[in-house]
Amino acid sequence: MFTSIYMVFAWVPTEADQGIVQRIFYFHVPCAWVAFAAFGLVAICGIFYLWLGQQVWDDLGYAAAETGMVFCTLVLITGSLWAKPIWGTWWTWDSRLTTTLILWLLYGGYLLLRAMAEDTPQVARFAAVIGIVAATDVPVVIVSVRLWRTIHPAVLVTRQGGHGLQDPRMVATLLLAMVAFTAMFAWLLMLRFATLRVRTRLAAAARDLNLAYASAAEL
Amino acid sequence: MSRFSAVLRKDLLLELRGGESTIALVAIALLVLIVLVFALNPAGGSRDAPAAAGALWVALIFAGMLGAGRAMLAERDNGAIRALLLSPIDPATLYLAKLAASFIFMMVAEAAAVTMIVLFFNLSFDGRLLGLAPLIALGALGFAALATLLAAITGRVRAGDLLLPILIVPLFVPALIAGVKGTGAALAGAQLADLAQWLKILVAFDVLFLTAGYLLFEYVVGED
Amino acid sequence: MDAPLIEARGLSKSFGPSPILRGVNLKIGEGGGALIIGPNGAGKSTLVRILVGLSAPTTGSALLFGAASHTLEATHRARIGLVTHQSFLYPNLTARENLAFYADLYGRLHDDGEISRWLERVGLARAADERVRTFSRGMEQRLTLARALLNRPDALLMDEPFAALDLDGVRVAGGLLKEARERGCALLLTAHQIMTISGIEFDCYELARGRLLAIADASSNQIRHQRAG
Repeated sequence: MFTSIYMVFAWVPTEADQGIVQRIFYFHVPCAWVAFAAFGLVAICGIFYLWLGQQVWDDLGYAAAETGMVFCTLVLITGSLWAKPIWGTWWTWDSRLTTTLILWLLYGGYLLLRAMAEDTPQVARFAAVIGIVAATDVPVVIVSVRLWRTIHPAVLVTRQGGHGLQDPRMVATLLLAMVAFTAMFAWLLMLRFATLRVRTRLAAAARDLNLAYASAAEL
Repeated sequence: MSRFSAVLRKDLLLELRGGESTIALVAIALLVLIVLVFALNPAGGSRDAPAAAGALWVALIFAGMLGAGRAMLAERDNGAIRALLLSPIDPATLYLAKLAASFIFMMVAEAAAVTMIVLFFNLSFDGRLLGLAPLIALGALGFAALATLLAAITGRVRAGDLLLPILIVPLFVPALIAGVKGTGAALAGAQLADLAQWLKILVAFDVLFLTAGYLLFEYVVGED
Repeated sequence: MDAPLIEARGLSKSFGPSPILRGVNLKIGEGGGALIIGPNGAGKSTLVRILVGLSAPTTGSALLFGAASHTLEATHRARIGLVTHQSFLYPNLTARENLAFYADLYGRLHDDGEISRWLERVGLARAADERVRTFSRGMEQRLTLARALLNRPDALLMDEPFAALDLDGVRVAGGLLKEARERGCALLLTAHQIMTISGIEFDCYELARGRLLAIADASSNQIRHQRAG
C-alpha cells in the first residue's frame, strides 16, 4: 500500500507535460472519487445499522465519515491550489467544486452531530438517518448544481481542460493514483474502524463488569 | 376519522387556539425581507426579479427553519410523543401528519411573503405570480419533509437548534437552486414550459425526501 | 397461569455502563395485578417503559400479549394503556377535545355521549370544556386516567399514578381499576411505598438494586386505603 503511494509520488513528476501545477490533478481527482464513495459507504452502513442493529455497522459508518471528511477537505484544498495559478482565483463556483463543497458541509453536519451528542444507540440511529438522507441528496445536488452552472458560463472556465488526457501515460498515472488513494483510504478507514471497535468493546466490557460487581455485591 | 387526519386536525386546532407558530413565521418572513431590502437595495421593476426571487427563498428558509423546530414541540412538552408512539398509529403516518401541518403553516407564511415581495420590490400583482405557486408549494413541501425528519433528531440533541440549520441548508440546496432560478424566471415573465426543468428538480426532490422521511421517521422517534 | 399478558424474562437494562435493571422476571396474567415499589431512581419508570415497548431491553425480553413489546404491531398496541407522571394531555385543548383526540387515535368510534360519560366518571363533567392548562394536578391526573382507559385496554401500566390525587380521586381511580380488572385487564402499578386500594388485590414486588423481588402475593394483602405521602 505504502509502496504504491510512493510510486505515485515518484512516477508522476516524470509524466506531466502541461505544466507542473497540473500534477495536482492526480491528487485532486482520486481524492474526489474517494470522498464521494466514502459518503456512499456511510449511507450503506447506516442502512445496515438501522436494519440489523449491530454496532459494528455504526462503527464502520462513523469511521468512513471521518476518513471521508479528510479526503473531502483535500479535494477542496487541492482544487483551490490548482485554481489559483490557472485562473487567478482561489475559488470558482463551477459545478464540481460546488458539489464537493456541499458534500463537505454534509460531512460536517454528520460529524458535528456525533461530536455534540452522546454515544448512545439512539444517537447512532440519528447519525445513520442523517447519513442516508445526505447520500440521497448528493445526486440531486449534482444535477441541480450542474443545471445552475450551465446558465452562467461567463463567470468561470470549465476545469475539464484537464480531461483532455492526450498521453496514455497520463491515463495510466491517473488510474494508478486512483488505486493508490483508494488503498490509502481503505487503510486509514481500517485504522479508525479498529479504534472505534475497541471503544465499543470497552463499553460492553464496562457494562458487563458493572453487572458482575453488582451480582458479587449480593453474595 | 383516520389517524392521519386526527393528528393533523389536532395540530391545526392547537395552532388556532393560540399557537404562536404561524404568526411568528409571518413576522420572521417580514423581518428577513426588510433586512434583505436594505441589503440588496433594489431599484424596482422586473430588473430586480433575481433579487426578489432570492429574497423570497431566503425568507422561506428562515421561516421554515424556525417553524420546523417547533413541529414536535407540543408533543415534547407534555410527553405526548410517547402516547402517540404507543398508540396504533404508524410512525410513518405520524410523520405525514406533522409534515402536512408544517406545510400548511409555511404556505400561510409564504403567501404573506409573496405579497411583501411584490410590494417591497415594486413588482406587479399579475398572472406571473401564478407561476410562482407550484414552485413555492413544492419548495415548502420539500423543506417541510426534510425539516420534520431532521427536527425530530435535533430536538433531542444538545444544542440541537444550532445543528438544525447546519444540517438542513446543504440538504436543501438543490431545491433552493431550482426554486430561486424558477422564481426569477417566473417573475421575469417565463411561461410554464420554461419552468419545467426547475419544476422537475423540485418534484424529484420532494418525492425523494418524502419517501426518505416516511421510511426513516420511525428510527428517529424511538427511545434508548 | 395461561399466557401472561404482561411479562418480563431475564430483563436487564444498562444505560452505558450503569446497570439499572438486572434479570427481572415478572408475569401478570389476565385479570392479574402487580404492585412494584421502590425508591426514586430504582428503575421503576425504566421497567415500565421497557414493558410497554417504548424502550428496548439490553438483554432478556419484555412481552405483551405474548409478543415482544418493542416491536408490537398496531392491533396489539391498541390494547395497551399507560399512565406516567407525564399527562400526555395538550394544555391548550379542552378535556373533551383531548379525549376525543385519543379516541380518534385509537380508532374508537365515539359520539359525544361516550366522552361525556367518561368525563362524568372521573368527576370532570363540569370542567369538560375548560382547557387543560387551567386544571389542577389532580384534575389532570383524573383526565389522564380517562385517557388511558377509554380504549378499554387489556394491559394497563401505571407509573406512580396516585401521586397527585386527593381522597376522592383515589376512590374514583380505584373504582376504575377494579372495573378494568374484572374485565380481565392485567394491571401493573408502581409506587414509592406499599399502598392498598379498596377492593383490589396485588402481588407486591420490590425493585431494589436492579432486581425485582416478590414481597407479598395478593392473598395476603390487606384491604385498606392508605394515603401516600
